[in-house]
Amino acid sequence: MNLSFLRVSIWVYLAIFFLYLLGPLVIMSVTAFNSSAFPRMTPWECLTFQWFGELFQDQRILNGIKNSLIIGAGTVVLSVAMGLAGALMLTQIWPKLRATYYTIIIAPILIPGVVLGISTLVFWDRINRMLGLGADSVLSNGIFLTVIGQSTFIASYCMLVLVARLQRYDVALTEAALDLGATHAQAFRKILLPFMRPAIASAAVLAFLASFENYNTTTFTFGEYPTLTIELAQKVRYGITPSISALAFIIVALTVFFALLNEAKLKRQELVAAARKNATVEELAGKIKLPSFFAGNVAAMLVVIFAAATITVVGTATAYSPDQCIANVKEQKQLEADQRIQELRKQREERRKQREADEAEQGETQSAPKPSNNSGFGNVFAPNALSGDEDESNAEPQPSTNGGFGGAFDPNSLKTDE
Amino acid sequence: MPRFLKEFFNRNGTGMGLAILGLVIFWTIGLIILPQLSMLDFSFRPNLPPPEIGGPKDVYTLENYKYLIYGPEGGSQDYNAVDLRVFFRTLVAAVCVTIFNLILCYPIAYYLGQSKGSHIRIFAIMLIIPYWINEILRAFALRIIFGETGVLNTLFVGLGVFDTPFDFIRNDIALYAGLGYAYILLMIFPMYNVIESLDGNQIEAARDLGAPWWRIHWRVVIPYAKPGISSGCTMVFMLSAGALAAPQILGGPSSLWFTQLIYQQFNDNNDWPQGAAYAIVLLVTCILFVLAVMRLFKVNMGDIGK
Repeated sequence: MNLSFLRVSIWVYLAIFFLYLLGPLVIMSVTAFNSSAFPRMTPWECLTFQWFGELFQDQRILNGIKNSLIIGAGTVVLSVAMGLAGALMLTQIWPKLRATYYTIIIAPILIPGVVLGISTLVFWDRINRMLGLGADSVLSNGIFLTVIGQSTFIASYCMLVLVARLQRYDVALTEAALDLGATHAQAFRKILLPFMRPAIASAAVLAFLASFENYNTTTFTFGEYPTLTIELAQKVRYGITPSISALAFIIVALTVFFALLNEAKLKRQELVAAARKNATVEELAGKIKLPSFFAGNVAAMLVVIFAAATITVVGTATAYSPDQCIANVKEQKQLEADQRIQELRKQREERRKQREADEAEQGETQSAPKPSNNSGFGNVFAPNALSGDEDESNAEPQPSTNGGFGGAFDPNSLKTDE
Repeated sequence: MPRFLKEFFNRNGTGMGLAILGLVIFWTIGLIILPQLSMLDFSFRPNLPPPEIGGPKDVYTLENYKYLIYGPEGGSQDYNAVDLRVFFRTLVAAVCVTIFNLILCYPIAYYLGQSKGSHIRIFAIMLIIPYWINEILRAFALRIIFGETGVLNTLFVGLGVFDTPFDFIRNDIALYAGLGYAYILLMIFPMYNVIESLDGNQIEAARDLGAPWWRIHWRVVIPYAKPGISSGCTMVFMLSAGALAAPQILGGPSSLWFTQLIYQQFNDNNDWPQGAAYAIVLLVTCILFVLAVMRLFKVNMGDIGK
């Protein structure tokens, strides 16, 4: 087995894998711009922006976004706080308890979200009843329950992120601060928190995203405050429209934008660090010439291209009107339908003529009192045999020709005395 | 006061110590342990209207669990065939999804973990982006693709593979593809983390000693990556057995997922104790299954989540 074959197959595999991963998102985004009322890519009808307009007028979606933001903010605060406390506890806990404690705080990641939602609902409902509060108390409020239910497992994610950085923290720093007369709260705020800030930021972003997209837990706890995800699920389950694609496109675009922005920032930090390292003493003493933001930074360039493309698209969207194209497509469809009707009519006409000719022929050859169809199976297999629209054309009293063998066994053909 | 508590307060100060302890206790006991126990307790109770709760009829009963096995009392069948079939189908399908994901993701994790270069970061971003998109929207995207007039059917009918559109949704292909799709990242990351720390020299040594590529994987990489593989498989199995969104959106009309039964008990039948019992059955079965498989492959619990 030679190496080049392996290499090619690896690249083919990577291509297929990322096609599976990203293809659905691309196709979904594209359907947001097709004027077809059902989200689809083929057949392509018209480029349109109407689904975005529809999306922004959908009161339920807007309300869902509002609820999601409120719940997301609550979840971020609660789960980062609990995650930080949990991480601090993990570094200090009595060694014998450590394994048990770790299992407990990591378990919510593995417990199915459905189970977490149910247990939250059942437990707080019971507390509510024990306290003798009514059905409209804070404890049975949808926002409260959702924040609590989501924080149960999101705090575990936060704890994992935070503990990774906490392990690199030198406890001697806090001790030094305490020796110098700081209170514990001051040492925490001025020494530990600044050290933890990057991890807290990523934990907060992670918590917000996890809260925003959560469905399994929220679906049991949301009460009267449906989040965006809940609204989306209901829409998707009971009929899908391209305005959902439009929303998906916005989310995909935002995600890609922020991912690139973050990457550009990281890359720049790296480049700056590299420039510092390679700088000569004079350069360091004088003004160090830092690389500009775009030099050798692919991600930064992509960010700019992306922003420009967005502006162009939005600009076109305000000026562009797909009405003409939609009218054309409608006309086209109308034409097609007309044509089909015409064809059907023509076929029917031809068939009728044929039959009349047959009948005329029969009328000449057979002197049967009533003309009947003598073709093998009568008219039963003629497409129009069951439709009633022939009644006008065949208005003359005609015996039914539904006998299995046409007119051969037709009782009427024997009734000569009529 | 126990000694370690005193030490804890000495180290953190009373105020900070109380805050940390309070939050941890609220989280572990108030949010994790008590709700699960409460649900367990609830699942052994009959479904009563609110005024009768705590009354004489509120006694412990096995009724809800019996219902899963035997069906409604006086029913025509000996066993609750519908629910049991859904339950086992869910477990088997979750195992299949896990194996599919493992086979799909192992080469990617190995490639990402063992190759160097700046393109790895681009791949990492491409991996993470789909994971940031809403779960519902990901399922929706697959539904567009697998629908009767979707991209795949248009393609296949256009190429002449099928004469008529193939119903991917009714045949559950869309569902399995969707479940696999949803948890790819959770399978790749634990494996990637482990494989990244594998010394490339070990692989080279094996190659120099004449091992073919498949034996290198079988004898060197896979044994080393076992903790990562088991973490990934555990997560994917638990999450796909407990998935709700993908089956609701991508599942065919006749094929239910066990979580959908739980959902129906809660929202349509309004029978909370029954739903809680089903949830307990799902949770306990999944945990036991994971533990059994881990014992079979000789993996330690402590390796999970590393």
